Amino acid sequence: MEIEKGKTFKYLKEKREVSQQAKDQLKEFNRMKKSILEALKEGELTIIALSEKLNMPEPEVVYYLMSLVKYGFVATGEVDDMDEYFTYKIKQ
Amino acid sequence: MNGPSNQLNFDALVVGGGIAGGEAALNLASTGYKVLLVEKELSIGGKMIMLSKVFPTLDCAACITTPKVSEISRHPNITIFTSSEISSINKIAENNFEATVVRQPRYVVIEDCTACQLCEQACPVSVPDQYQYNLVGRKAAFIPFSIASPKAAAIDIENCVLCGACEKVCPTNCIDFTQEVETFQVNAKTVILATGFKLFDPLMIPRYGFGLYKNVITSMQMERELAPTRPFNTVLRPGDGKVPDKIAYVLCTGSRDATIGNPICSQICCMYSIKQAQLLMGALPMADVTIYYINIRSFGKGFDEFYQQAKGMGVNFVKGKIGKISEQGNGNLTLRYEDINEGIVKEADHDMVILSVGVLPNQDASDFFGQDELQLDPYNFIHQTDVLASPALTSIKGVFVAGTASGPMDIPDSILSAGSASSEAISYLIQE
Ligand SMILES: Cc1cc2nc3c(=O)[nH]c(=O)nc-3n(C[C@H](O)[C@H](O)[C@H](O)COP(=O)(O)OP(=O)(O)OC[C@H]3O[C@@H](n4cnc5c(N)ncnc54)[C@H](O)[C@@H]3O)c2cc1C
Ligand code: SF4
Repeated sequence: MEIEKGKTFKYLKEKREVSQQAKDQLKEFNRMKKSILEALKEGELTIIALSEKLNMPEPEVVYYLMSLVKYGFVATGEVDDMDEYFTYKIKQ
Repeated sequence: MNGPSNQLNFDALVVGGGIAGGEAALNLASTGYKVLLVEKELSIGGKMIMLSKVFPTLDCAACITTPKVSEISRHPNITIFTSSEISSINKIAENNFEATVVRQPRYVVIEDCTACQLCEQACPVSVPDQYQYNLVGRKAAFIPFSIASPKAAAIDIENCVLCGACEKVCPTNCIDFTQEVETFQVNAKTVILATGFKLFDPLMIPRYGFGLYKNVITSMQMERELAPTRPFNTVLRPGDGKVPDKIAYVLCTGSRDATIGNPICSQICCMYSIKQAQLLMGALPMADVTIYYINIRSFGKGFDEFYQQAKGMGVNFVKGKIGKISEQGNGNLTLRYEDINEGIVKEADHDMVILSVGVLPNQDASDFFGQDELQLDPYNFIHQTDVLASPALTSIKGVFVAGTASGPMDIPDSILSAGSASSEAISYLIQE
């Protein structure tokens, strides 16, 4: 097969099968990303509030939310009066 | 794909690009010797490059490591192979070693990558970031971490879905999915082993609840939480994002414990825990920090003063052996422990627990040598055959050991050990 610069992924795609695990992980991340961003559309939330709203375990929300902060989709808001929980909001 | 360019000649082969291997390589290179530095990770720097600050001076780890790794990377006498491992080393004669080195494809041409991060933004995949000890995600097209050396993207092919998004946005066309595994035959006159240490895996002590209780984390995870390039906006509990205010350290996790096969002291955990406690009190001024210990080993220069300083700052030291950690409904944790001074069992509540994990041997190097036997010590670190007169010498003449590959030690001792390995290697080279 002829290899075109800038499109070399096509070459590897012919030779290597993408694992089911990689496909499932991508699906799961997209699902979590969509749900979290959807939930934050109505306003900023703490992790506990997000977890209740999405009916998802808190540790999972922490992991995915912090990843979305890192990727630039979400920003950190204010901390509460007890200095315990921050809110998180969609990055403008 | 392997041609004559895969036959390489060097004066010294250094295996492991942590602070010990890097320092040894730099000493040899500055003396005029040509060095090949082989590192299995995507970046050199070892564990030190991942730390927050260092005891007992509280210098910023990145501020010390960055100039060092950049000096190593730019030295004309040092060639660095990352993503590479040794498959064998054979001693043919004195000053004549033949090694086979296998380099995994990075799928990025390092020299052409400007670390613009456009590939990271475009990649749709997110998987746990091993360089943040899984506290947060990273992309499949990613720059390992901001102070990585080389600072270039890499493709995690196991998790890549081959969508080509990264390649489409790359302004320099440096992504190359045609790269393959390469094998090199390396001739070197001497070898330095600096393969470092492994961290104890606390899953081996189920009664501490690591993995099960999300607010029980390791000291390496806390290093990341305290580093300027941290995974969260501040120190937070991974269980629910709460800012912790009652933090406990469990010293000797996986050290001085014959039941898990490691009866020796790891030498660094007391001091790094005292360091983290001080940093936590700076980051979270309202927090209580308690350190549960068996004995505090503060034996180095300035270490006892550092320990006293932590006490003065209000860190609470409890001489106690932890029996069990259990979780309450709100994610807080109850520590059941034997108060060693009073000889009674007590319980205490905390909202986050840090397991001060110990140093274990990395036994990779014992598989490198074919005909000659690389002896290990009773704890499976590389044996120093003449620890007083020639501390870097191993059981194979011409092969030297640097840093924690020979036993637990801190950064200053790893650098000293690298100094001794490089000078002993130079003496061996000039006896040629
Ligand atoms: C939580 C924590 C905090 C710490 N804080 C401090 C501190 O504040 N101050 C201090 O002085 N010390 C501290 N230390 C100790 C410090 O990390 C070590 O002293 C230092 O990292 C040892 O360096 P090294 O090069 O010997 O090993 P490592 O850092 O382990 O480096 C070994 C290198 O070899 C590579 N390697 C391994 N096997 C192979 C192979 N088969 N082929 C090729 N490459 C290989 C590894 O990828 C790595 O890059 C801390 C340690 C921990 C765990
Ligand atoms: S090809 Fe792989 S690495 Fe590149 S963007 Fe797609 S999933 Fe990410």
